[in-house]
Amino acid sequence: MQKLLRLNCSRPCRELRKVILFMKLTALFLFVCCLHVSAKVHSQKITITLSRVSLEKAFAAIEKQSQYRFVYNDDNIPFNRRVTVSASGASINEILTSILDETNLGFRMLSDKLIVIAPKGTEKKDVTVTGTVINTLNEPLPGVTVQLKNTNVVVTTDVDGKFEIKVPENAVLIFSFIGHETQEVPVEGRTSVNITLNAAENSLNEVVVVGYGSEKKINVTGAVDQISGKKLAERPIANLFQGLQGISPGLNITYPGGRPGATPAINIRGITTLTGGGSPPLIIIDGIASTVDDILRLNPQDIGSMSVLRDAASAAIYGARAAFGVVLITTKVGASGGKQRVSYNNYFSWSKRTVLPNQITDPYIYSRVLETATDNTPWDYVNYSDYQYQWAKERSENPSIEDTRVDPNDPTKWTYMGNNNWNDYFFNKASASQNHSISFSGGAEIGKGKPFGYLLSADWTKENGLNKLAKDDWNRYGLRAKVNFTPLTWFKIENNLNIYQTITDAPTYNITDLYYLQPTQVAKNPDGTWANTGAGRLGAQLTDGGRNDQTRFGFQNIIRGTASFLNNDLQVTGSASFKREIWKYNVDYRKYKIGYGPDDIREEGGSGSVSATNGIVKHDVYDLFATYNKTVANDHSFKILAGYNQEEYVWSYEQVSRDRLISSSLPYIFLTTGENPLLDADYSTYALQSVFGRLNYTFKNRYIIEGNGRYDGSSRFPRQRRWGFFPSVSAAWIASEENFFKPLQDKISSLKFRISYGDLGNQSVSNFGYIQTLPTGISSYLINNAMPTIITGAPPLSVDPDTYTWEKVTTFNVGADIGLFNNKVQAGFDYFVRKTIGMLGPVQELPGVLGTSAPTQNVADLSTKGWELTVGYRDNFDIAAKPFSFGVKVFVSDSKSKITKYRNDQLLLSSYRVGQEIGEIWGLENDGYFSSQEEIDALDESAIVPWGALDIVPGWPKYIDQNKDGVIEKGNTVTDPKDLKIIGNTSPRYRFGINLDFDWNNFDLSVFLQGVGKQDFYPRHYLFWGPYQQPYAGIYEWNLDYYRGASETGAERDRHSASYIAAGLADENKNSYFPVLQSWLADANYGAGLDIPQTKYLLNASYLRIKNVTLGYTIPNAVTKRFKVSRLRVFFTGENLYEFSAIKKYIDPEAVADGWGWAYPYQRKYAFGINLDF
Amino acid sequence: MKKFININIIITCILLLVSCKKDFMDRYPQTSVPPDLFFKSEEDLSLYINGLLTIPGRDNYLSDQDTDDKATTGAVEIKSIMTGNPSSQNITSGWSWGRLRNINYFLDNYGKADVSEEVKNHYAGLARYYRALFYTNMVKRYSDVPWYSKALNPSDTSDLYKPRDPRALVMDSVMADLAFAADKVREDVPTGTPNVWVMKLLQARTALYEGTYRKYHDELGLESTAGGLLQLAAEVSKEIMSSGNFILHDSYGELFTSASLAGNKEVLLASIYDQDLKRSGGNWNILDYEMSPSRDLVQTYLMKDGSRFTAQAGYQTFGFVQEFQNRDPRLSATLFYPGFILASNAPNPKPYIQRLNKNFTGYHQLKGYINSTDNKTIADVDFPAYRYAEVLLIYAEAKAELETLTQSDLDESINLLRDRVALPHLDLAWVNSNPDPVLAAKYPNVSGANQGVILEIRREKRVEFAMEGYRFDDLMRWEAGKELEKIPEGMYFSGLGNFDLTGDGIPDIKLIDKGATIPNEDAKETNSLGEKLVYYKAGSFGEDVTVYLKNGTAGGTTVTEITPRQFIDPKYYYRPIPFNQVTLNPALEQLFGWQ
Repeated sequence: MQKLLRLNCSRPCRELRKVILFMKLTALFLFVCCLHVSAKVHSQKITITLSRVSLEKAFAAIEKQSQYRFVYNDDNIPFNRRVTVSASGASINEILTSILDETNLGFRMLSDKLIVIAPKGTEKKDVTVTGTVINTLNEPLPGVTVQLKNTNVVVTTDVDGKFEIKVPENAVLIFSFIGHETQEVPVEGRTSVNITLNAAENSLNEVVVVGYGSEKKINVTGAVDQISGKKLAERPIANLFQGLQGISPGLNITYPGGRPGATPAINIRGITTLTGGGSPPLIIIDGIASTVDDILRLNPQDIGSMSVLRDAASAAIYGARAAFGVVLITTKVGASGGKQRVSYNNYFSWSKRTVLPNQITDPYIYSRVLETATDNTPWDYVNYSDYQYQWAKERSENPSIEDTRVDPNDPTKWTYMGNNNWNDYFFNKASASQNHSISFSGGAEIGKGKPFGYLLSADWTKENGLNKLAKDDWNRYGLRAKVNFTPLTWFKIENNLNIYQTITDAPTYNITDLYYLQPTQVAKNPDGTWANTGAGRLGAQLTDGGRNDQTRFGFQNIIRGTASFLNNDLQVTGSASFKREIWKYNVDYRKYKIGYGPDDIREEGGSGSVSATNGIVKHDVYDLFATYNKTVANDHSFKILAGYNQEEYVWSYEQVSRDRLISSSLPYIFLTTGENPLLDADYSTYALQSVFGRLNYTFKNRYIIEGNGRYDGSSRFPRQRRWGFFPSVSAAWIASEENFFKPLQDKISSLKFRISYGDLGNQSVSNFGYIQTLPTGISSYLINNAMPTIITGAPPLSVDPDTYTWEKVTTFNVGADIGLFNNKVQAGFDYFVRKTIGMLGPVQELPGVLGTSAPTQNVADLSTKGWELTVGYRDNFDIAAKPFSFGVKVFVSDSKSKITKYRNDQLLLSSYRVGQEIGEIWGLENDGYFSSQEEIDALDESAIVPWGALDIVPGWPKYIDQNKDGVIEKGNTVTDPKDLKIIGNTSPRYRFGINLDFDWNNFDLSVFLQGVGKQDFYPRHYLFWGPYQQPYAGIYEWNLDYYRGASETGAERDRHSASYIAAGLADENKNSYFPVLQSWLADANYGAGLDIPQTKYLLNASYLRIKNVTLGYTIPNAVTKRFKVSRLRVFFTGENLYEFSAIKKYIDPEAVADGWGWAYPYQRKYAFGINLDF
Repeated sequence: MKKFININIIITCILLLVSCKKDFMDRYPQTSVPPDLFFKSEEDLSLYINGLLTIPGRDNYLSDQDTDDKATTGAVEIKSIMTGNPSSQNITSGWSWGRLRNINYFLDNYGKADVSEEVKNHYAGLARYYRALFYTNMVKRYSDVPWYSKALNPSDTSDLYKPRDPRALVMDSVMADLAFAADKVREDVPTGTPNVWVMKLLQARTALYEGTYRKYHDELGLESTAGGLLQLAAEVSKEIMSSGNFILHDSYGELFTSASLAGNKEVLLASIYDQDLKRSGGNWNILDYEMSPSRDLVQTYLMKDGSRFTAQAGYQTFGFVQEFQNRDPRLSATLFYPGFILASNAPNPKPYIQRLNKNFTGYHQLKGYINSTDNKTIADVDFPAYRYAEVLLIYAEAKAELETLTQSDLDESINLLRDRVALPHLDLAWVNSNPDPVLAAKYPNVSGANQGVILEIRREKRVEFAMEGYRFDDLMRWEAGKELEKIPEGMYFSGLGNFDLTGDGIPDIKLIDKGATIPNEDAKETNSLGEKLVYYKAGSFGEDVTVYLKNGTAGGTTVTEITPRQFIDPKYYYRPIPFNQVTLNPALEQLFGWQ
């Protein structure tokens, strides 16, 4: 065999050795050569040569040569003993006798080639150990791995948490279980060992996943938070995003609405840059950089844990893309040596909208108020006839009167007078969604020291939108196959394959168009056709007007090999990830029918059209890194990491659109006959290469210092300035380990201080920003009877290619972690100062004759300061003789960003400027209303009249003349803001989350609250202003509290409906919330009048939301085990149950995110489901 | 050793997999074009030139809101200037140079193409034509502007920070560009793009603009240079006329309602709309928009017999129906006339009743409105962007201003326009001895032997091109800004009572007192056709009524607004350079009293 080996590889060996000499990692690998081992195995005969190695190494060497395995207790092995063995075809007895000579150790052969090494006299005894493993709630834990230390002898606990194992009496057992602290227990001759495993959560001994490795939480030097997957698995969330909101301090998730499958904005510690489009953090899934969208495709049940790296020191190992923090997501693994497990989880949910403004529906009030609103303007567009008022009045008083009639002036047409709440008409009150996921996991040993583990999971999620009229949902089908095996005892391979498909299936027309509808419209004619109104048209469009189907199919395969050397001290990992996605979008517009009159049904929607898009994503990532851990003289511990990373991303699509469907029932691109099909395409790509390293030194387990560095190259920068080096350093002091702290141990169980400083690059700039090219487009003119492709103009000077380079983000972070009363109370605090230096900004404004905006350079700076505080409390005691455990985790985070450098010499308000706090609202200070013509004459507000045309009359808003010049004007600059001042800030502040959980007698209850402590919102558009915006949509109840200078009397008053009088609309109302009723006064298109932010209508957007309440019950084991079920839990849960908020009178507090409140409604969900394990 | 070998194999494999291609980090876009690979062929030149294409479109029918032809509630710049406190801080639009950069970038690069001189000259001619259009517009706003003949870069500081160039210099360059274009651009071009005849029309138009502008605006001190430009205008327009390529289209109204103007001999270039080809036009709610035609425009049209409407006794108290009787037919092609039937009322073909409203004149614009319910019919109508009629008017006006106009000149220009609508000919001798006193008051600076005919040419221009976007420039070059001080008025009503608006002698509307109540539907008065009258409350401006009359309930023309207007001469013929631009480049001085 020896011969054979040599023959096969002597030549390649030399060549390979040459190759390796070129590698910087060579030095590390040379350690391997210190172990001169050559071996030959002939059944039970062993040939081995060892020179001056420790006993452990000798045992390990023998294990590797033979099929024998050794069982021993480390403490019994003499320190510093070196042995030399030179055996050729010797028996194991001879060898052991030889190397154990001069020690007090003896040995004994067990079955399965297991050899016990123990002090002489004790090695002969075997014991059968039995016991039960429970958790802190006294629940038996099934599936706990019980391992005989230093061997692969493993058993797992049964459904009652019981185990039985035959071991030498001096053996050490290792109990390990997912989500729990691992315990080592010496048997010491006992035959019964009962163990309580502590949940790993909230524990400083918990292992935290960090960049390219993991670390005990107590040893982490940066600002890192970890969330266990268990928290997410038990909520009725369709995708992982929904579970992240409010779950970790400083991790901000902002939803643009409740549309199924929506991707929210994700951000860590607030705004980082003015150039980076929302500054999303880097998402790492199973060690591979991913896109934010990738979070959507994960099955929440698959999540093992998530780490949030907030400061530069912990993120620096990821270099350029980690400038905005990192979210590390790790999926579950199949435990090796554990027992087989089948899990099935599901939920069924019903959702309805949360808070949505409701329009007034009384037809008389609506018509009269709308006409009044335009009567008070030069554009008298709304004029209802007396006939319509009469009808409105009758319907207001008796809603059973018909809302659709044949037009008396034109018997071929319908005429309408509805009283509709369109929210109720278009939005479902109980949209059903569901999720099912099943997984098989487990492991086995395929050979000595060669464990095998697997996890197979599949899930289907269907999230239904709120659309009552048409299908509007999001589906995910996911499949994950993870296997790990060990072909060679020192080499492990993992393969992680994920196949997924998401399908968004929605109408082409937008349901949020219903915010434009009027209550007096009617949706359907008496003959069942869609009415000739906005509402009828929207109904027809949603049901028949076409579909928008977006399918994304993809897979990602990660293959990873880990080689371990030097007793696991050195590990070399290589991984390759391949991701491909196909995006297939089909958007079509179809004809729909509108009933204009009893015999007049018309087809609308043009000739129909289809647009088909095919996109493809290619994303390949390669990593190679090595870690080396060494403890010297017990007190000095080193960890070294060095690696290389390379990544390539390509995304492209081609789109073709053509009109004229052959038939509305065949909405396919080839079945169209239109001329001039339109072509569109896009292409983006980037490439990255990096080398990185980390050095960690721990002294006496209490002083830790760590340095990280990464040298990054990005294709987004010109060759000459493509590379950047980004270092960071951090340190921690575990004060509670100090001797002087020991007396306080029972009160302060742990105390750690952390400090870090790091310098990261930001490469989130456009892919081809530095390359000047001629932009192309499609002509808007017909040239030779077609709209040809054209060059749209000269290349823009977007950046100065001579100076363009990386933005730098430096973060300084100090933090402390404390555990009190045996770690029952744990708190963490972090304060950070982050400076973004060299953001792309204008170098200087250049004269307009340049004809393009001045090229930007890396010249603007931003500074963000913030803090995060987390306090947790966990305890348990007995209630009614049953253990009761509970936990509370509260956190608050805050940040504030200011611009510290920006070229805006005139300090124009229209641009960024030095000293500007991000989110500032400049506005006017309200001073009530003008009450008389004299007051109007005394203060000139003509400069802020919308369209220069509305009349300033009593009841018009009056403002404080800040600069005392008698004129109310908007200034342009900070130095001369005229009458503007800072009246608020749109940035969310004091974001907080509160997590409560209770467990008692098989019941579990968790409550999760989330909110924002301070935020201002200035409303714009219809949803708040109603007719003040424009007179074409709804009126809201609050709009009725408008200024009325005098009461109506006599005939004027008598014409009104009872509802109008009852609402007080004919009465004087000078103390009103809204000013005189003028349409266009708050027109969102002109920037005058009420569209200028002002103090009176600045709304408080802070809120506290009951995000989730879950009540679960686990059927007692005694019942379930009869059916071979190890765990059956049923749960009821509600998402977005309630909110405490001032602004919810108008809109959902989260809907302020888009600045308009124009959101797809947020969903309240009620669900039940089961978790079932076999 | 075995281990060592294995590691080596793994590492080697990975390295081979990731093997760094040398250009791995160089990534280029695939949807835009690197300039060094462009400007090679004629196709490249054409791709770029097509991107510069600009032709006036149907939205031009919404223009003229800034003139005496229309009342408007829109925020029109000149109205804001005349009624507000204009300064460089609040008049900030117009100083946009992006288009010039796109044009000059082409002119900097087209020479690289490997094509014949003829090809190069054709495309360069088009680019220079667009540059001339750009600069003409700049000169119209700012008079003196810096001239640039190449695309600027941030390092070109002397150019970026240079002062204005004199108007004469800039316009000389503009005229040179136009002369080049008129000489080099081809006659045969892709449909929908301008050919050499459009270049010549613009050359003539620009020469006339600048010639008359210099003649009437003494603040420039360029009066002596006007003659050459007028001469050029006359020559070029004559050249177009002599080419025989163009004749007036038989029907005036069809110019604005045709689905296709291809082959129309009057239209030098149309803006083509075709729904099937993805370019649709719309009616832009002309009926219900923020503008309405003025009574002053209505009164400008001649009578059918060629006599002046304003020569009739009591014309100021004519009501709507009477005003439309026996008029130049172009009036009924431009405005809704009594008895007009709105297609959208079908199948109920009753004459449309003019809707009255606050701030509106009561007149409705017809030109540009496609009277159809079929969306495709509406969408497909082309716009006559450049018409031969203008060439005739340029010729006549240039000759008149040069005082070289003869009756035969009139016969081959203005009188062709009159023939089309069956109006009697304009007689040079008669009109010069009988200048219209109404027009003379409007344009007090017209004098001399040709005063009468110049006034009539101006009438002809206003009438022929009403609502097509020419009026503002004309008023400016004629130095008639004061005309804009008059607030446009609307229809005349003799007082309260019943009025016929459809021309059948049967009343259609009823004006009632502001104090009265509009009765319920059942109680409304019915006319002899069995139709209910439309009720309006009438009174003085600002009262709680729908129709504002000059003398309140005692009648008068309808009033659209009352804020006084002041046109400061010559300041308001120009615009200030935006404040921040002067701050950036102090060498740019404000002219004519702007601050």
